[in-house]
Amino acid sequence: MTAKIPQKLEDLPSSEPRWVGKDVKRIEDPKLVTGLADFIENLQMPGMLHCAILRSPHPHALIKSVDASEALKHPGVSAVLTGEDVLKWTNPAMTVPDGWGVYCLATDKARFVGEPVAAVAAISRSVAEDALELIEVEYEPLPAVADAKKALEEGAPLIFEDKGSNVIHKRLFTWGEVDQAFADADHVISDSFRWNRLGANPTETFGVVSQWDLLENSVTCRGAFQSSSHFALGRAATFGLPSNRVRIISHPHGGSFGGKGGARGTDIAALLSRKADGRPVKWIEDRMEYLIAGGGQSWDRFYEASLAVNADGTMTGFKVKLLDDIGATGEGFGAISAAKPLAVFTGNYTIGAAQYDMTLVATNRLPQSPYRGMGPPPHYFVLESLVDSAARQLGMDVSEIRRKNYIQPDQFPYIIPSGNEYDSGNYEACLDKVLDMADYQALREEQAKAQEAGRLVGISVVNAIEPGVFDWNAYSAVGMPGVGVPEGVTISVDVMGSITVRVGFSLEGQGQYTLAAQLLADYFGVEMDQIRVVHADTASAPPHFGPGGSRLGVALTGAILGAAKKLEDKFLAVAAGLMQTEAANMEMVDGWLRIKGVPDAEMPMAAVAGTMLARSDLLPPGMEPCPEATSVWTAPGRAEPDEEGRCKSYLTAANACHVIMVEVDRDTGMVEILKYFVVDDCGTRLNPGNVEGMLHGAIAQGIGAALLEEYVYDENAQPLVSTFMDYLMPTINDVPDTQSAAMVTPSPFSPLGAKGCGENAIHLTPAGIICAINDALAPLGVAAKEIPASPNRLWELIQSADYPQDK
Amino acid sequence: MKPAPFDYVVPETAEEAVSCLQKYEDDGIEATVLAGGQSFVPLLNMRMARPDVVVDLRKLKTLKYIREEDGVIAIGAMTTKREVEESELIQQRQPLFHASTLEIGHLQIRSRGTVGGSMAQADPAAEYPAVALALGMEMKILGTDGERIVPADEFFITYLTTEIDSTELLTEVRVPVLAEGTGWSFQELARRHGDFAIVGGAVTLRLDGGVCTDPHIVLFGVGATPVRMTAAESAISGQAPSAELFAQAGEQGAAELESPMADVHASAEYRRHLAKVIIKRCLLEATERAGGSVS
Ligand SMILES: Cc1cc2nc3c(=O)[nH]c(=O)nc-3n(C[C@H](O)[C@H](O)[C@H](O)COP(=O)(O)OP(=O)(O)OC[C@H]3O[C@@H](n4cnc5c(N)ncnc54)[C@H](O)[C@@H]3O)c2cc1C
Repeated sequence: MTAKIPQKLEDLPSSEPRWVGKDVKRIEDPKLVTGLADFIENLQMPGMLHCAILRSPHPHALIKSVDASEALKHPGVSAVLTGEDVLKWTNPAMTVPDGWGVYCLATDKARFVGEPVAAVAAISRSVAEDALELIEVEYEPLPAVADAKKALEEGAPLIFEDKGSNVIHKRLFTWGEVDQAFADADHVISDSFRWNRLGANPTETFGVVSQWDLLENSVTCRGAFQSSSHFALGRAATFGLPSNRVRIISHPHGGSFGGKGGARGTDIAALLSRKADGRPVKWIEDRMEYLIAGGGQSWDRFYEASLAVNADGTMTGFKVKLLDDIGATGEGFGAISAAKPLAVFTGNYTIGAAQYDMTLVATNRLPQSPYRGMGPPPHYFVLESLVDSAARQLGMDVSEIRRKNYIQPDQFPYIIPSGNEYDSGNYEACLDKVLDMADYQALREEQAKAQEAGRLVGISVVNAIEPGVFDWNAYSAVGMPGVGVPEGVTISVDVMGSITVRVGFSLEGQGQYTLAAQLLADYFGVEMDQIRVVHADTASAPPHFGPGGSRLGVALTGAILGAAKKLEDKFLAVAAGLMQTEAANMEMVDGWLRIKGVPDAEMPMAAVAGTMLARSDLLPPGMEPCPEATSVWTAPGRAEPDEEGRCKSYLTAANACHVIMVEVDRDTGMVEILKYFVVDDCGTRLNPGNVEGMLHGAIAQGIGAALLEEYVYDENAQPLVSTFMDYLMPTINDVPDTQSAAMVTPSPFSPLGAKGCGENAIHLTPAGIICAINDALAPLGVAAKEIPASPNRLWELIQSADYPQDK
Repeated sequence: MKPAPFDYVVPETAEEAVSCLQKYEDDGIEATVLAGGQSFVPLLNMRMARPDVVVDLRKLKTLKYIREEDGVIAIGAMTTKREVEESELIQQRQPLFHASTLEIGHLQIRSRGTVGGSMAQADPAAEYPAVALALGMEMKILGTDGERIVPADEFFITYLTTEIDSTELLTEVRVPVLAEGTGWSFQELARRHGDFAIVGGAVTLRLDGGVCTDPHIVLFGVGATPVRMTAAESAISGQAPSAELFAQAGEQGAAELESPMADVHASAEYRRHLAKVIIKRCLLEATERAGGSVS
């Protein structure tokens, strides 16, 4: 049975919340920022070996032979792993869609540069790397598929021969009378767009210590795991072990953003441990491994899209044709980020009909992995760019065309054509607030002056929905099974009244341990430092998923409040017994159990918990001496999708509006962000400072996406990016001071009315910067349609303009 | 990313270092000196450099100095860029060199990376080699046979290659002070602040009787070494400064470039265009600093 949990802040058993909703300093940060958290690289275990991985230098090559005999003889080497071993001991990786997985080491052929081919465990990483040089691999290079368009060409080399084609998934969704909408429209705005590969780059790469217990035939993996239980299932499938024979112990990690990856490294280390008589084997991914072959590459998309618009600016239809390069295999679950835009397909608008024609292909690039935002950021780049084009064509202001098409506050809950339901919002108020803050009129005047002086200055006004709290059903469009994503916690109170909560995820930087402590401190009327939050590994944690899909803040709140409520009910029953009354006459407020309406008839929660553990003689009949409760939360009302993929997938719909002013240097194509304004609405802000942190980090990532970050491959699928000299992350010099403000429209459906906000501005910043650039370029009659808008690309655009140069 | 095995020695003096290097050379052993490590250690870790021996110069404190001698600022090779940045002498007497220092990487890099290391590394996109060429610096090189002085225009041979022999040490960089009345400019175009430049320029010029004289225009990031733009220089010599003249010099300079590098950040064509932009911008700024105005 699920517990009835507070839906609003006022419903908490607290006369006045002291922590929830307040700007509380994060309890986990001192450890993370001083490096004193037990990051995996800090872990030393007796007898531990170090792994290094030999990787394919070829994008596509048959492996004729692997000779590791010299490596095995090298002093200090304990074990060498090759394709032969993995064929004997493992299964290919599970993928979505099914059947596009390979073994953790290439066995018959290598499909991307950096694919592991062999591995060594030795007394140190240095020795292991020395030994790699002694392994001889005979390759027979094959012609490579360099990008998504080439994958579809007649006679293209096949990444998986048995599939007969490089198409991983193809599906056409039609929602509503879309052809009619386009036939009836006064204008159809069409364009092509290109979003180049980029992705997560956490401070810490992936790392793991795997150990095979030879007697029990079980595996224990300690490492920087984002979703432990999910990861455990994957390992069990790979190793052919019962799922309870894999134990995943997640360590604090230095960020993830979806990029931790790590499946192959974990498996390789585990198998090396098996070969090395069960000694623990550590593998720490280095930055070059990460950039070439890690979990950091996402969204490699070609788009063709059209918007149906009437003369008055009303948008009636939206068609998107997507070609996405998933990479050499499906192991990184890249396909699901092509499905996620279903949750927000038509953005903030009342567009009534839509179509999504998706083709996902395999190439010889690195398999895609998740990245913060998980798919909609490129989709919004397309949608918002087309909305701006429509405004330009109709001579409307970009803010007015948006205003005209907003879903109105009284229309919520609102079901969009692609099936998801938006819970609540007030988009027009959000727009007005940011326009006001930016002094939009004055900005436009400033722009006009700059343009008169020959400068290329542009302004954008863009908006987006952030789908919050994912459900597996959101990804059914690409074959993901399941409905419901559980998140569980166990709360225990000890005999002294101290409270410990066990959660299934480790520190990653988002501040959820703080949130757990805030909630419990208010629920039981104690100070925050009386709450201890600890990580439980997969052998002891309640069902959980962890961070991902902008869900954990909401899901964790649900679980904490559910468990707290169960505990409260126990305490009420025990206290009622002690005070010789019925539980129905009792209440708990600020941590005191009291008889309603009777002054001074009260006792503190700690005393009740202590009684439960130390005085069984005083307990009501049938009450176990267990001041502990577990609750597992999942979003209510989720169901399987219909035949057009429609379902309520994401529980909440936060929204934001950004106003951005940029200048493009006409001579160099370089972009400077002059001003940046944001108003966002993610419902109840459980810890406003934390939300701000999410916002600013996501803006930085969005700027990286819009202007800097790109995994470049050459025409033979060789990666040209292998260090941070090539892959440019934004630094403090590239991220402007942002002015931000909040609106609060609580969700009617989520615990305490909070909406998912962890992915945040990455949805909107790339679109916003490109739209501002295009506003700046508009006088030249050119527009950027490729991300990132590098200076070289913008310079080429400016060159192509029919406009006097070098003035 | 761990280096291949190597031996490691730490000489106490420059002379000892040089005789070490000579001995290794004679024995057919490959040795590389280590200064601040900001370029060399990554190469070592990527196994792109695989010396048998690393000769660490960290104890050569006598090669850490900045002093003025007869119109020349002598800088010990082991002086860090941070020390240059903080030197009032350099700030006042050689502002171009100072300005270029601030563009090198980030504070952390400048705190470890040395002046000698940057010259010896001879990265084609690095600031110091270009400034060395523009200012006519000299390099003092120590071998077992004693010292020799090599002017900058003979020092940089090609991509990552200089006049320093494998048995020698760069001990001092000699920087002429900026003559009174000289206009200068140092500018670069990079993807982000602190990155190696896509294209950069170091320029000095003087104005005599309303015309440009003695122009030095050096570009970096465009070829295997920094390049002196002689055609652009002659285009402006003896001419009154003007925006058109400088744009024209830019055109000439860009045309003069053989085949600019291409990489993930910039095509050869874009680099050639930026060369034009940088030449013009640098000349405008240098003219202003020389007390001139541009028509
Ligand atoms: C993130 C990052 C950003 C950077 N950005 C820039 C930049 O924008 N611009 C720039 O110019 N540089 C940049 N660098 C490089 C940096 O400036 C290095 O410090 C410099 O190139 C080398 O100096 P070092 O003292 O570290 O030399 P080392 O790395 O120790 O040595 C470099 C080479 O010079 C040789 N060498 C060093 N000293 C001597 C000597 N006295 N005699 C003979 N040979 C010697 C070494 O054998 C080696 O081959 C950057 C580096 C990093 C890591």
